[in-house]
Amino acid sequence: MLTTAPRLRIRRPSPTTAEFTVTTLPPRTLALRLLWLLLLALRISLSLVALLILYARWVQERGSIAGPAQPPPPLLSLDRLVFALDAFLQTTPAGTLLARIAASVSLPVLLPVAAAVFYALSLRVHKEESLLVLRGLGVQTSESPATYLAGAATRFIPTEKIQDILVNEAFLGFEVRYYLVVVVEGEENVVVVFPGLLPRRKIVETVWRGVRECLYEGRGEDRVDKSGS
Amino acid sequence: MHPFSTLTLGIFVAGYITARWDLVTRLYELAIFAVEYGVVLRVARGIVVLTAFFLAIFVPVALLARRETTLHDGLMRVFWPTDIRKSDRTGVVVGWRNSTLDVFVVTILEDVDAHNVEFHLRSGTFFRSSPHSPNRIYELCGHSSMHVLGVSNAATQDAIDPSWVCAKASTSSRYPRISCAKASSIQLILYDRPRPKGMQYISLNPIALALGDKGTLPEDVASSEDDSEEAKHEKAIKENRRMLVEKLKQHSIVRRVASARDKALPKIVNQVNWSWELEQALQQNVGRLGPRPKRGLSVSERVVESATTMRNYVLVQLWTLFSVYLFPIVQKAFVLVLLFHRMVAEIFLIILEFRAKPGYAALKDISATAQQIEIRLQQFCYWPMQYVTLRQRKANWASVTTSHPDYIRFYNSLWLVANDVIIGMAVGSYIIEHKDWVADQIRDLLRTYTVEALQRGISWLMGWPAGLKLNGELAAFLGDLFLWVIDYWSSCIETLSPMLPHIIWFIGFSSFAGASMPIAMFSDLLSVLTLHIYSFYLASARIYHWQLTILRSLFHLFRGKKHNVLRNRIDSCDYDLDQLLVGTILFTLLFFLLPTVMVFYLNFAIARMIIISLKAGFDTLLSCLNHFPLFALMLRLKDPSRLPGGIHFELRDTHYPTTPDANDNLLNEPPTSIIYLKNIPLPFRDMFHQYFQMAHRIRKHYLSPRVLLCLVTGQFVPPINRKNLYSLQYSMLPARRATVWEMWRAVNTEIDIPQKKPFQMPNIPQLQNGGKRPTGFGRTRS
Repeated sequence: MLTTAPRLRIRRPSPTTAEFTVTTLPPRTLALRLLWLLLLALRISLSLVALLILYARWVQERGSIAGPAQPPPPLLSLDRLVFALDAFLQTTPAGTLLARIAASVSLPVLLPVAAAVFYALSLRVHKEESLLVLRGLGVQTSESPATYLAGAATRFIPTEKIQDILVNEAFLGFEVRYYLVVVVEGEENVVVVFPGLLPRRKIVETVWRGVRECLYEGRGEDRVDKSGS
Repeated sequence: MHPFSTLTLGIFVAGYITARWDLVTRLYELAIFAVEYGVVLRVARGIVVLTAFFLAIFVPVALLARRETTLHDGLMRVFWPTDIRKSDRTGVVVGWRNSTLDVFVVTILEDVDAHNVEFHLRSGTFFRSSPHSPNRIYELCGHSSMHVLGVSNAATQDAIDPSWVCAKASTSSRYPRISCAKASSIQLILYDRPRPKGMQYISLNPIALALGDKGTLPEDVASSEDDSEEAKHEKAIKENRRMLVEKLKQHSIVRRVASARDKALPKIVNQVNWSWELEQALQQNVGRLGPRPKRGLSVSERVVESATTMRNYVLVQLWTLFSVYLFPIVQKAFVLVLLFHRMVAEIFLIILEFRAKPGYAALKDISATAQQIEIRLQQFCYWPMQYVTLRQRKANWASVTTSHPDYIRFYNSLWLVANDVIIGMAVGSYIIEHKDWVADQIRDLLRTYTVEALQRGISWLMGWPAGLKLNGELAAFLGDLFLWVIDYWSSCIETLSPMLPHIIWFIGFSSFAGASMPIAMFSDLLSVLTLHIYSFYLASARIYHWQLTILRSLFHLFRGKKHNVLRNRIDSCDYDLDQLLVGTILFTLLFFLLPTVMVFYLNFAIARMIIISLKAGFDTLLSCLNHFPLFALMLRLKDPSRLPGGIHFELRDTHYPTTPDANDNLLNEPPTSIIYLKNIPLPFRDMFHQYFQMAHRIRKHYLSPRVLLCLVTGQFVPPINRKNLYSLQYSMLPARRATVWEMWRAVNTEIDIPQKKPFQMPNIPQLQNGGKRPTGFGRTRS
């Protein structure tokens, strides 16, 4: 429900510059937005729970249990926050439950599990891969990373290095997939565009036509300005 | 026409006619003659035909040509700095014109005349007072002078060249609005200026943190004989790939020639790197173009000025005294001390690298300590050269980016050594203070693991280990043999043990030269103190391997075959009965004795493997201490643009203004795409590339099926080529070190560093009119 089959989005502000984005993000509707908000809230609350468990464990390891009977420190300070956390963990039923969970799990299990939970909570739901075509400069592929923490991985190929751009077919399991390939001069490996999503043939063909039109069609040779040199 | 000139012309014509009346009558007769014979008609027909031709052919062709040129070649590319000054005043856009419609904007000069600017750019007025020669700029940016590219916020459209850019940059809008008469579409590429003073730059390829001058050395070729099969395999794969690439090349239908715009990219990268310094130079010298508004000094400013002049005079005199008399002496003395140390280092290096015969192991190949000393000495030899290279950087524009990787390498190695020494001091003082305790610990460890554990293991094997029915006699024989040697060895260790605190003290003392030194020494100590295990391993492996070989040949005999050495194959053979009988009996005997030998072999092989992995751990620690990219990591956190890993582009959304300005005469704005050029910081994986490579090599070498086979059959496991393993250690050192003479010359050549400001004046209030400060009489050291 949160993702669709890969679909194509084209941004083309001028005829010689275009960005082809293949994404699994469905079109935005109200229901989808609500779902997103729900998911976000879930992520935040789960990570808070994980953090609280870790904090409880840390307090237990440290062994100093400050009783909630002391006068609370001034508002808007770090001590106040610690005080509130301690109070939460010791008095409320949810807090005591968390503290009991933290106490029952051994440390070598707790830490990797917490790390795995944080990683799972930071995973992206949808994938996005794009191809930016700039006449006179080159093409640039980019892939959205797996988590929200990392940046997009991009690869820029100057026009001079592009030997060819073509659509190829390959077996993948029991099906034949069509994929767009940029052949780079002087490199052993070709660059596959949209490597993770591998969209349908129709999308690939559209992108291929668009790229060739953007890069090469009606290209006039512009001469070097002789007045300067 | 002016009435007076009409009158003059009339008078002239009348005069001419009266003076040359016969000529005029001749002309008149000629005209009559032409009319009578139909010349006029023929001329008129010709004109009509030519006009028809012109209208039918030439005009459409010209129209088509113009349409082609304007429609398809009308892509204009404008590089625009993001931090350009935004104002509503008119200005001249200055930069580089890479081709007609490919411009690179450096700056906007305000309130000046475009033609005047063009003239001064050509004559180089802007760089007249610059500290370095502007030729370097022109060479790297690929043009012989900068160009006027257009105007910004121009009031009128006349007097604008059609290829000029008209920019509208106001303080309110985020992006400038560009138009050009010749352009039909525009790529506006925004870029951030890298600060050359902060050593920021961009590059198309990732910055190289390792020194890349390692070729295939002759030793390398000689020592790579043993893994020739792997190399051959790899070569075959590479060849296959090459052929595939070649084939793919043939599939390309159209070979497209790169246009000037495509080829300009490396030039543009240089221009981006130069942009900041050029902008500074242009903006500083824009005052040379003409009179600027000036204002006289007020009285208080005059007082401040004379006070600062006095203070500066005193400071400059003191500085001159220091730099002329004191500094050269200190410098010379330092250079001499350095040279002496360099000579001593050379002698040590020669000793460490001495090989009795080419191909034999040198001292540094055997001992980790020797290798550590060698690395430190090599670094010491390389530092002066590096420092001189870095000093030359000052003699040029800051935008020359070729020496930045050198800078990072130099400070990385300096910092690592400093870190190493600091950690070493802590470790060393700890070891020295607790030397008895440490010695006790080591003695205990040695006794427990290398003597008692071995003895226990052997005694266990001499019984029936894990219910295996081994041959008791053979096991007792072998076990006793090893136990005697262990006894002898342990007595040796006992006699040595009073020495141990002194050795530990020495190791602790040596760690003041860096924490890597005790680690290397412990590694060596480990290999010396476990010598008996190594020899046990060798002996048991030899026995085991012999037995396996004999078993194999006897198995052939058992089947009535034998191994033909000449043809390297198995042939049938007619054995006599007694031969067969004896052979079979021997085969059976040896086969039943094999498990006994095998368990002893396995015991020592496992011990040996544990020691090898321990040493590998020490080596990893050493390589971390010696070549961890600490400085690069710090730079990556502090300022990612100092470690460029390539560029990437980002397509921005174009927002057209919804309400067109009333006084906007540039509304015929072509479709524009706004692109942001950004620098990719070097990924962490590239920083640790060398480590990954080393891990890959070790994995390939030790976890390969060949090594496993060697272990199982009891052959000697070939150690990994040290050259491969330690290529990481030498990755930041040159393949050939500079000789003493080269260093002497490099240190003694004076670098001509132009010093515009010989001394940084502290805290001088800014004077508005650029009042004359006495900066001229600071003497530059030469």
